[in-house]
Amino acid sequence: MIRLTGIARTFLVGGEEVHALKAVDLAIAHGEYLSIMGPSGSGKSTLLNIIGLLDRPDAGSYELDARNVTALSDDELARVRREKIGFVFQFFHLVPRLTAGQNIELPMVLAGIDPAERRTRLTRLLAEYGLEERAGHRPDQLSGGQCQRVAIARAMSMGPTVILADEPTGNLDRHTGQEVLSVLERVHHNGGTVVIVTHDPEIGARSHRRLRMLDGAVVADEKG
Amino acid sequence: MRFADLLNFAWQVLRGSVSRTLLILLAMGIGVAAVVVVTALGEGARLYVANQFGSLGSNLVIVLPGRSETSGAMPGVLIGKTPRDLTLEDALALGRSHAIRRFAPLIIGAGDVRAGGRSRETPVLGSTSELMDIRHMEVAQGLFLPQGDPRHSQPVCVIGAKVASELFGSRTALGDWVRIGERRFRVIGILAAQGQSLGFNTDEIVIVPLAAAQALFNTESLFRILVEAKSREQIAAAKADVEEIVRLRHEGERDVTVITQDAVLATFDRILRALTLTVASIAAISLAVAGILIMNVMLIAVTQRRREIGLLKALGATGGQIRLAFFTEAMMLALGGAAAGLVVGELGRSLAVQLYPTIPFQAPWWALIAAPLTAIATAVLFTVAPARRAARLDPVQALSRR
Ligand SMILES: Nc1ncnc2c1ncn2[C@@H]1O[C@H](COP(=O)(O)OP(=O)(O)O)[C@@H](O)[C@H]1O
Ligand SMILES: [Mg+2]
Repeated sequence: MIRLTGIARTFLVGGEEVHALKAVDLAIAHGEYLSIMGPSGSGKSTLLNIIGLLDRPDAGSYELDARNVTALSDDELARVRREKIGFVFQFFHLVPRLTAGQNIELPMVLAGIDPAERRTRLTRLLAEYGLEERAGHRPDQLSGGQCQRVAIARAMSMGPTVILADEPTGNLDRHTGQEVLSVLERVHHNGGTVVIVTHDPEIGARSHRRLRMLDGAVVADEKG
Repeated sequence: MRFADLLNFAWQVLRGSVSRTLLILLAMGIGVAAVVVVTALGEGARLYVANQFGSLGSNLVIVLPGRSETSGAMPGVLIGKTPRDLTLEDALALGRSHAIRRFAPLIIGAGDVRAGGRSRETPVLGSTSELMDIRHMEVAQGLFLPQGDPRHSQPVCVIGAKVASELFGSRTALGDWVRIGERRFRVIGILAAQGQSLGFNTDEIVIVPLAAAQALFNTESLFRILVEAKSREQIAAAKADVEEIVRLRHEGERDVTVITQDAVLATFDRILRALTLTVASIAAISLAVAGILIMNVMLIAVTQRRREIGLLKALGATGGQIRLAFFTEAMMLALGGAAAGLVVGELGRSLAVQLYPTIPFQAPWWALIAAPLTAIATAVLFTVAPARRAARLDPVQALSRR
C-alpha cells in the first residue's frame, strides 16, 4: 500500500547539491513492522518525510493506498496526511500549553471531528496507552516516556494507514525506550503498519523487516 | 476545523502568554479609548456651543449698524456719507415684514445703579417687552417690561438676580426704587438666574424701557435690533426683508449688517466638527501603532512557534487553517482591546462629565462604530504578513530544529 518508485531528493547546500535520496524503490505492505537503520546523514529522515508527505521528491512517483500522491496540491497533501499518516518524533513535539488529552485530540480537532465523537475516541486512546491519569497534565508535568506515549496516541487518533517514527527512543533512557517500543509493537500487533528509524541495533533486530541505508540509497532489505 | 475549536485554540494561545496578550490589549484599548474620549470632548464642545446659541433665542436674526463686509467699491466714501445710525424708527419699520414674528431694539450702556446705601456698576439694557421672548428670558418675580409705545417710557426696570441680591441683600427688591445716574426706576421684575450664556451674564444686568435708556445714555442710535423670524424656514426671508426695509429707509444705502444665528452656529458647527474629526484621526493613529505592534508580536510568534506550526502541518493542518488560526488570534485581541477601550473611554467620558457637568460630553455614534472597526481592521491587516509567513513555513525544517 506504499509504493515508492525511483524517488530522489536533492538539497542545495551552499551552492552544492546534496543527494539525500538517490532513486529509491520501496514497497511496504499493510501491517508490516519495518525498521530503517544507517549512519547519520544517510537519508533516513528524508525518506520518512517523503513517505509522510511532509516533503516532496524531486523525481520518482509515490503511490499511497493505490492513489498516486506525487502531484497532489499542498492542501490535498495535508488532508491525506491527516487521514493516513501518524508521525512520532524524537523530540515528542507536544504543544506545551495543551494538556496530554488536548494534544491527543489535536489531529481530530484539525479534521473537524465533532466533540462527542472526539471524546469517545480520546477515552479509548487514553485507556489504550495507559494515560487515563495523565489526561489533564501538561507536557512539562510528564516524563519522557509518557510524552512519547501521548505522541503515539496522537499519531493513532485518526486511525492512520501507517505510523512513521523517526528515532522515537533516541531521546529516552534504555528502559523507557523499551517501554515506548513495546507500545509501537502493540500498534503493529493490532494490525497497524509501523516504520521506525533507529540507531539501536536491538530495536532493529526486533522488527520484521530491516532496511539499511547508505548515502541516499537502500543497500540492504532483509525480512524475518 | 470547527469554529468553536478555532476560538478555543486561539484562546489557549492567548492564555498561554498573558503578558503578551495584555500588552496588545492595552495598546488596542488605549487607541480605542483615545478615539472615544477625544470625540466625546469634541462633540461635547459642539453641543455646548449649539446649546449656548439656542439659549440666545430661536430663529434669531441680528441687525447691527455699519457694514462689516467689504463688498464692491466704497459708495459711502465716494458720495461722502458716513454710515447712518440704526434708529428706533428703522426697528419699527420691520413690523411690515411677514417673515418676522417680533423684534426688539436694543441699547446697551454701563450705568451706576444705586439702591439704599449700595451702588454697583452694571450693564444697562434698554429694550422693549419683546426682548423677553426673543432672548428666552425668564422672570422669577414680578413682571417684565410693560408693552406699549417704545417712544414713551415709564420709570420701571427689571433687574438680574445677582444685581438684586447685591443691591438689596435679603430685603425685597420688588416694588422698591433704584437710581441709575440721575433717574429713578421702580423694580417691577427680577430675572430668573440663568448664568453665563456666550459671555453675557443675564444675572448681572438691569433692563429699562428703550426710551429711558435713550435718555439715560443720551443717544438715539441703537446698538442692535434683535429679530425673531416666524420659523426656521423664514430666517432667510426675514433677513432679506430686514435688508430691504432698512435700505429703503436709508436712501438705498446698504449700511447695516444682518447676521443670522443659524449662519453663525453653522460656522461654529463646521469648525468644531472638523476639529473633532482631526483629533479623532490623530487618536486613530494610535490604533495603527497598535496594529504594527500586533504585527510585530505575531511575527515573533511565527518564529517562536515554528515547531508548533510545523507540528500542526505534520498533523494535517492546511495552510489555510494555520492562517485562520492567526487571524482568529488577532481578531480576539482586537475585539478584546476594542471592548476594553470602549469601557475605558466611557469611564473617561463620565469623568469629564463629573468635572464639567455643564458640557454634554457624548461620543458621537460614528466614533463608537469607527473606533472598534478601525481596531479590528488594523489587527486583521497587520496579521496578513505574519499569517502568510506561518502558512508557508516548511514543516520539515521547522520540526528538524530543536
Ligand atoms: N532541509 C535540508 N536542507 C539541506 N540539506 C538537507 C536537508 N535535510 C537533509 N539534508 C541533507 O540530506 C542528507 C540526508 O539527511 P537526513 O535524511 O536527515 O539523514 P539521516 O536522517 O539519515 O541522518 C544529509 O546530508 C543532510 O545534510
Ligand atoms: Mg534523521
